[in-house]
Amino acid sequence: MAKYRSIKFEKGGGGFGGPLLITPTEKRNKVMFITGGGAEPECLPKIIELSGLVPVNGFQTNCPEDELALVIIDCGGTLRCGIYPQKRIPTINTNPVGKSGPLAQFITEDIYVSSVTSRQISLAEGEEATIAESSRADVEAEGITKSIESASSENQSENVKFTADKKVSETLAAQKNKSIVTRIGLVAGKFVATFNQAARDAIQTCITTLLPFMAFVSMLIGIINGSGFGDAFASLLSPLAGNIFGLLILGIICSIPGLSALLGPGAVIAQIVGTLIGTEIGKGNIAPQLALPALFAINTQGACDFIPVGLGLAEAETETVEVGVVSVMYSRFATGWLRVLIAYLASFGLYTA
Amino acid sequence: MDFIVNLASGFMNLFTLGGEQFMSWVTGIIPTILMLLVLMNAIIALAGQERVNKLATICTSNPLLRYAVLPFVSAFMLGNPMALSMGKFMPEFYKPCYYASATCHCHTNSGIFPHINASEIFIYLGIANGITTLGLDTTPLAICYLLVGIVCNFISGWATEITTKMVEKQQGVHLSRELKTAA
Repeated sequence: MAKYRSIKFEKGGGGFGGPLLITPTEKRNKVMFITGGGAEPECLPKIIELSGLVPVNGFQTNCPEDELALVIIDCGGTLRCGIYPQKRIPTINTNPVGKSGPLAQFITEDIYVSSVTSRQISLAEGEEATIAESSRADVEAEGITKSIESASSENQSENVKFTADKKVSETLAAQKNKSIVTRIGLVAGKFVATFNQAARDAIQTCITTLLPFMAFVSMLIGIINGSGFGDAFASLLSPLAGNIFGLLILGIICSIPGLSALLGPGAVIAQIVGTLIGTEIGKGNIAPQLALPALFAINTQGACDFIPVGLGLAEAETETVEVGVVSVMYSRFATGWLRVLIAYLASFGLYTA
Repeated sequence: MDFIVNLASGFMNLFTLGGEQFMSWVTGIIPTILMLLVLMNAIIALAGQERVNKLATICTSNPLLRYAVLPFVSAFMLGNPMALSMGKFMPEFYKPCYYASATCHCHTNSGIFPHINASEIFIYLGIANGITTLGLDTTPLAICYLLVGIVCNFISGWATEITTKMVEKQQGVHLSRELKTAA
């Protein structure tokens, strides 16, 4: 049985990067954790148990970089999360942080994975068989703590150079049982990091998807309104979108099998038609009450272009996809007008004060 | 000369109008959506996907859970398109049906929860903007969109069971109704 085993890390909820495959060697056999002022991360025991790596507390000691197989950090997205990826040392972050900080360009999927807990860690394929079930059960019972202790003591005697310049974190990390203050600190840190990353994602969404589309549609609207096309368009659209029969027809047309798949991509057409109808509602040419059925009418083709991909996400088999593509298009066609009608019935009383 | 000047100013006017439209959206829509996105992203990160997975395995048994509850929660928690991945907990036969329902949930709920489908939000916003222009509140529209959506998406999902049976016969295949135990 090999002393070291390859392990695999997946990203956790809201995480980024990975899956990351770590194969320790005789030389590269250390896992350094630089987390919570020296407190052990939750995932560390499992990493040690599965891989046989030697843990090193980055707040207490130093370790030559060429011996590091893996670094664990809990960075909230400032600097640390980029340092080790920059040095091309595989890095896992216990916080859900993606590409961020001044070193963001070095944080790539092949070297970095975030939001990792013990649930995201597994043995690499082909390695499972090497572990005997019995030994595993033993380890799980109480051996985990032991192995850490023995590993770290071994560590201290052989491999570790102490540096005396990290006093505060050293004392923190030396505590076996984390104090309440440390615990609160860790929870607060996690909380802040999560929200900070959420904000980062939100801004990213705005920049990459919302703003470009707004710019694109704004330009179209400018041209349509400024050139007089708008009035022509309105005279075409108003009779169609201005009453329930028109909306039903619009809904049926959009959901015709085959055509529906062509209208789908990015929902661009639906979004433009929606904006145009909105403009007409704003001008008073279409009753505001009809906004609700209109929402359903312009989207009866919803996602017909995406069926194979979507079913692929659901891990469907090939024949399911073959059946599903046709079936969903049929059902869109069959229920599209019904959706418009239900929405129309529900819209009575809306905006009619 | 006048003609050229008119032409040029008319040309520029198109883009001034476009720019005004853009600015009104950026100042009127972006701030609120941004704040919502931050909170929703945080809630999702804190709750985690594993809880949704757990829910998904419970929800496969009955149509109401399958086409109304699960896609609603998945859309809220995972957004478009990852909400569709929850179909993996279904037997093969129900996957297209879940897809039909979940994709719609990614739209009908986006009026109140824009984070679900930020890149296709203009289907809703485009129309809702008209309501705003009239000086009316869009909240009733967003709520109705969501409520009617739940009913309609349930119907869409269920109807897909019928069309799937049809297509099965047409193509001469039979999809499994049982969940594979060894996954």
